[in-house]
Amino acid sequence: MSEPILSFDDLTVQFGGVRACDSISGRVDRGSLFALIGPNGAGKTTLVNTISGVYKPLAGATVHFHPDGKPVEDLLTYRPYQIARLGVARTFQNLGLFMGENVLTNLLLGRYIHENTRLISGGLFTRGAVKRELAAREAIERVVELLDLGEFKRDPVGDLPYGVQKRIEFGRVLAMEPELLMLDEPMAGMSVDEKQDMIRFIYAAQDELNTTVFLIEHDMGVVMSIADHVMVLDFGQKIAEGTPAEMQRDERVIAAYLGTEMAEN
Amino acid sequence: MTTVESPATRQYPPTYRPSTLQRILPFAIAAVVPFVLGATTGDVVFWWKALITVVVLAVVARLAWKWTPRGELTHREDMRLWRTPGDRSWAAATTFGLLVLPFILASDFTPPMDFPWATWFAVVNLVLIFAMGAAAFNLLVGYSGQISLAHVAFLALGSIVGGIVGVQWSGGNMWLALPAAAVAGAVVGAISGLPALRLKHLYLLLATFGFHFVMMLVWREYLQEYFGFVGIRFKGENSPRIASWLHWLPGIDPDQNGEFVITGQFRWYWVIMPITVLSILFMVNVVRTREGRAFAAVRDRDVSASLLGINVARSKLMAFAVSSAVVAMSGTLASFYIGSRGEDSFNVQTVLNYAIIIVVGGFSSIQGAIFGSAFFWFLPEWFKWAREELWFVRDIDFLSDYPSEIDLAIKGFLVVVILMFKPDGLAGMWRDCKGWLGRRLAGSSR
Repeated sequence: MSEPILSFDDLTVQFGGVRACDSISGRVDRGSLFALIGPNGAGKTTLVNTISGVYKPLAGATVHFHPDGKPVEDLLTYRPYQIARLGVARTFQNLGLFMGENVLTNLLLGRYIHENTRLISGGLFTRGAVKRELAAREAIERVVELLDLGEFKRDPVGDLPYGVQKRIEFGRVLAMEPELLMLDEPMAGMSVDEKQDMIRFIYAAQDELNTTVFLIEHDMGVVMSIADHVMVLDFGQKIAEGTPAEMQRDERVIAAYLGTEMAEN
Repeated sequence: MTTVESPATRQYPPTYRPSTLQRILPFAIAAVVPFVLGATTGDVVFWWKALITVVVLAVVARLAWKWTPRGELTHREDMRLWRTPGDRSWAAATTFGLLVLPFILASDFTPPMDFPWATWFAVVNLVLIFAMGAAAFNLLVGYSGQISLAHVAFLALGSIVGGIVGVQWSGGNMWLALPAAAVAGAVVGAISGLPALRLKHLYLLLATFGFHFVMMLVWREYLQEYFGFVGIRFKGENSPRIASWLHWLPGIDPDQNGEFVITGQFRWYWVIMPITVLSILFMVNVVRTREGRAFAAVRDRDVSASLLGINVARSKLMAFAVSSAVVAMSGTLASFYIGSRGEDSFNVQTVLNYAIIIVVGGFSSIQGAIFGSAFFWFLPEWFKWAREELWFVRDIDFLSDYPSEIDLAIKGFLVVVILMFKPDGLAGMWRDCKGWLGRRLAGSSR
């Protein structure tokens, strides 16, 4: 078996009396495409939020990140911005873009962790600041080319169609060059063509940037065709895990999605 | 066989790249000509100078328009502050205007209908000082989204630092007091920003307003301890001077006693204008580089920003620090310019004045702060002139009896009107005008 990039164990998140995630364990292999599926309210986004540091799990949980060639990091000891700097990037289900800013600014924000221009040198617009700004823009250019965003570069994000906005958000996390890329429903609300484009982009990201993808998705067809490994959540609990083919045959998965009377038996 | 040359071939090629000299020349003309005009004193008629000014202005703008890169811009070109032909023309014209303005205002020109020419120089200087403070305030409130009412507290801090460093320690050394005010402003600003880590919107507004009163207490205590109730004198023996080594510069002639005291509107203009322009350029650069982008990200969605690797707390404190540093500097500058600061120089009304400037000028626009500041200071002058000179206003006793109240009422009314019909303020109107003009020019010449 290949080495893991992310492993989490006994992850429990509680909001008041609701257990959004109940003692979930799992591991994501380096270089794979890991898919997390489940019906609405299953706790998928909560799991991603916990890994990226937005929510704190109950005591006893462990989340370990294994960066390439560096010692293992316990993500629970870090704040969200530190986790992002370690190389774990994520997108949002309902878009985390800055709508008033233009596409270029949004993408350049993805380079924030790779630039190191300070406020003073930026304000004085020193030679070094200009050089780093240019370097960031060159890096963006690759993403723009990959995602075919060239024609929108100067437009405010809020004025663009939803499918393009999804692409921009994906571009922004690609600009971060993360080791682990967590995509929260990148294809929600997209047309079939746009979904196919997005799949192409995800594959391209995996090939070119050598990232591991952690994907949350509703569309079973998409997941079954692209994922290496699938984990299924329902009501905050892990009900099944395995290859896509196994999941398609798993009775609990079918029950969770189609809602049979199995729960009463 | 003759072919008619099609208009398109006489236009700029799609990728037109002017040389460095070509790009700089309009700005060079804009920089040099005002001084030549200013030097030609004597019995030269005002209108003659005005004519040359207008002609040069047109030439400068035209050249700047002509010599701008066209077509797909490289990233280096795209990063320039003035990218488009329109931007470059306005920038060259503004450079020219800023340099020629003091010569025009200092001339003994008497406009028709007793238009208040002499008082306008003072107003221009005040506009520049206020524009600097308001732009810094806008960086915090509009651009970083941290609603604060503490900016007048930092003006007071600037006065205190000016009093301690500039008056008590060095007897009128403004050049020492300005950096000291910037440092003090940054440190105290970061401390005053601490509530922003926990509070937002209205609650943050109240917390920073509390800070205003704390600073007022400090100001009063400081005044009474060292200066009594009369306030600090920043003029007379405490007037700032220009460093002696600057005297070799052309046009800087020392006074009789060998010193060069900054006094009078004309000299003050040459001190205030560069400081304002440089600090505004600094803030514009901050906004368009890494940390400035982070400010906007934190304003729009702080969770999203933190997941991009931005330390939200640090970013907020930095916004407070840089804004307060510039505001404190403008406070020191204003203290030395106005000449004395007393017990009630920093009242609640001043807080509201800055709010008026920001709202009228336009939120999250550094340009807007300049427009708002000009609006704020010129409007009363216009009203005053109208009350005294315009025949149909002159006879209304009511207007002359309550001048300041009427001013405030009109300002308040205009704030409401602008908020209702043009929420992005004068800066938004300016953008609309430029867009319209740009379309017109593009339609006719491209």
